[in-house]
Amino acid sequence: MNWKTIRHLVNVDVKSSRLLRGQRLAKYNVARNRFFNYLTYVVAIAIGLAVGILVGMFYSSELHTIGFQSSFNGAFANLQISLPTLILVVTLVFTMMQQFQRSGTNFSRQVPYWLPITWQEHTLASILADVLGIPLLSIACIAPAIVTVSLFTGQVPLALGASLAMCASAFMAATTTEAFRVLQVRFTGAVYKSTGKAAIWVRFTSTLLFFIVFYIVYSYVIYGTGIVSFIQTVASLQTAAWFIPFVWVGLTLAFFASDSAILGLAFLGLSLLFIAGLFYLCVGLNSRFGLYEPPAITVSRGIYAPKTGFLGKFGFSSVESAMIRKDLKAFTRRRELITTFILPIVVTIIPIVSSFNTTQSSSSSFPPQFGFAFTSLFPAGIMAIMLGNFMTGEEGQSIWRVYFSPISAKNYVKSKYTFMLFFALMVLPVTSAVGYVVYHPSARTLFTLVVESIFVAFAAGALSLANGIKGADFNEFPRPRMIRAEWSIINLATCAAAVLAVLAPLLPYFIASVTGSPIMYLDLYQAIIISGVIAFILTVIFYLVAVGNAKDLLFKAQI
Amino acid sequence: MIINNAPAVELKKATKRYNEIVAVNNVDLTIEKGEIFGLLGPNGSGKSTTLKMLLGLVQPEEGSVMVLGIDARKDQVAIKRQVGYAPESPHLYEFLTGIEFLDFIGDIYGMQTDEKCGRINEYLKALQLEGREGDIISSYSEGMKQKISLIAAFLHKPKVLILDEPLNALDPRSARLVKDFLQELKLQGVTTIMSTHILEIAQALCDRIGIMYQGKLLACGNMEELRKMASMPNSGLEDIFLKLTGTGDIRAVVEELVK
Repeated sequence: MNWKTIRHLVNVDVKSSRLLRGQRLAKYNVARNRFFNYLTYVVAIAIGLAVGILVGMFYSSELHTIGFQSSFNGAFANLQISLPTLILVVTLVFTMMQQFQRSGTNFSRQVPYWLPITWQEHTLASILADVLGIPLLSIACIAPAIVTVSLFTGQVPLALGASLAMCASAFMAATTTEAFRVLQVRFTGAVYKSTGKAAIWVRFTSTLLFFIVFYIVYSYVIYGTGIVSFIQTVASLQTAAWFIPFVWVGLTLAFFASDSAILGLAFLGLSLLFIAGLFYLCVGLNSRFGLYEPPAITVSRGIYAPKTGFLGKFGFSSVESAMIRKDLKAFTRRRELITTFILPIVVTIIPIVSSFNTTQSSSSSFPPQFGFAFTSLFPAGIMAIMLGNFMTGEEGQSIWRVYFSPISAKNYVKSKYTFMLFFALMVLPVTSAVGYVVYHPSARTLFTLVVESIFVAFAAGALSLANGIKGADFNEFPRPRMIRAEWSIINLATCAAAVLAVLAPLLPYFIASVTGSPIMYLDLYQAIIISGVIAFILTVIFYLVAVGNAKDLLFKAQI
Repeated sequence: MIINNAPAVELKKATKRYNEIVAVNNVDLTIEKGEIFGLLGPNGSGKSTTLKMLLGLVQPEEGSVMVLGIDARKDQVAIKRQVGYAPESPHLYEFLTGIEFLDFIGDIYGMQTDEKCGRINEYLKALQLEGREGDIISSYSEGMKQKISLIAAFLHKPKVLILDEPLNALDPRSARLVKDFLQELKLQGVTTIMSTHILEIAQALCDRIGIMYQGKLLACGNMEELRKMASMPNSGLEDIFLKLTGTGDIRAVVEELVK
């Protein structure tokens, strides 16, 4: 293996990750920024050392307390033994998330096939690049901390072993992610080829299902069991799960800590063999399936017969209908846009999981109107705000098609606004039905929140669309950005203000339900009507602003 | 509104600056209906900016741009309805299939369903895209994408065609077909303005040629007129182009590279 090549490839991967995170490299000077790159690790080490010294000083000050030393030393040893497995889990989650983030990228980080680079070099570079960042930063912080504390507790060999074991675990996790990535590419390619016309829907539903399952598990871990009990579970499971090779590194430490040198050496050997085996498996997979070719998904065959759209019957021109149909296909076919549909589901799931946990563990009740608000108002509102924000930027470089086609600003805004409203309002009955089943709100609450959700979708959606046009980012490489960061923040802030303005007439009812002392200055239905009038005025104003922004966009036609 | 006796394209003292850089400098140009006009020039000479000005995509700071008698500053949408444009990069919606994309384009130009259906099928057959029209565009080769881009420009029977490197990546058969098709369209009164770096194509296809350099229109005319301007009788377009643009000193560069 040529280490110089590996170093260059790691740099390429790290830079591509920076681009993915939205950092521009046009003015990026490697030599000038090298100091800042290392500074992050230096800061992490300094924090680790500081924490270690503080804990060590605390340890020294408490030594006179009877039983403190033995219980602290025992707990500290247990923590060190479980650290490799924890780092393994953290790295796996982080690197997998990185892979999801890369799924919408328009470039391949495959090894340039025409250059003399071996698959070993490519695989190792890819793994090391994955380890850099959060996994290595975590280790850079934790390792000095535990080594410093161990100077006070006299467990230096174990701390040093734990530090090395954490590095090995991070490497194992990144290697697993690399293997997963190659297999995923191969598997999805094969599925698309075999499913033919249905490939679009297979991809749509599998992407949605994957994320929903991921978020349900995530919500359960974070909101259901709690992160502390999760760590405790990992630590206690390690010994029981000795047959899983991924915990062998942690077990090696455990055996050395309990003076079982022979078992420790045996698991050390097994760990090294497993890491080497995993790496070469990954190299093998890469050399077999690494040459990725995008599968040709066939959607239709035979003589072309265009479908007559029904949108014309609802007053849409052929230009507007064409734009709406095109956007519908974009949101069901482009992976980075498919994930938009996940958000309302996640917003619905989190309070439900949280409320289950609250019911089980404490006596504090979660008012049904709040729970129902989460499942009605939030999904529809967030869907409108998010779609409005992305609908222009998602055009990417193909915005040129809009520029040089006879599409007026009014056509443009009408089609985008309709599409956004359609989905926001389509989400509403589904998530509201779920909320109704879970929270059993009164008919009054149900009516109020559904109507308010519609008002919010109209007003915040129009504002979001106006902001989305103004702040659109058409860069597609390495991944579609869709909205400039500053406009994303402006959009969130202004939409929050608009939503508050729409809901303002109902605030007394909200306060009343929290404090239990009603401040009724007007009838609920009068408040809803006033809210509707505010929403209407805001919708008209923001819609006109959106048309103005679209005129500006089409007139300047610059990317 | 289209003015019948107006030329297809008329630029008067058109100037466009990007900060310090003058992309198009005081250009006067008239292209008549039914003409095939070639716009040549080295990279960065202002060709693409000029073509974008004709579509109203770039606004001149000085001067005026009229297409079919319509002011490009005042009614861009009206111009776009009459123009077919194939950009240098196709800019297709890659998540659509070829046929879905052309259907989209047909609807954007307000074509009737039967007419749209008939023309799409004819073009797909002519450019040998049959059998792949139902595939997602992201899996197409560059040549196939270029064919789809050209069909999109031709589909609504525009009065003016603006083609930026139209024969890029096309196979020889398709390139020949496009060239012959442009000649047929010329007979029907369609104006074609094309930008290309392949000088042989420009020489063979274009009635008149404009050579741009550093934002200025250095020379404009048919081959005979260009030969006179360059004082190079019996020369080909390549030699004329290199002389006029002052980029003919390549012998010394090649010799340096060989070392």
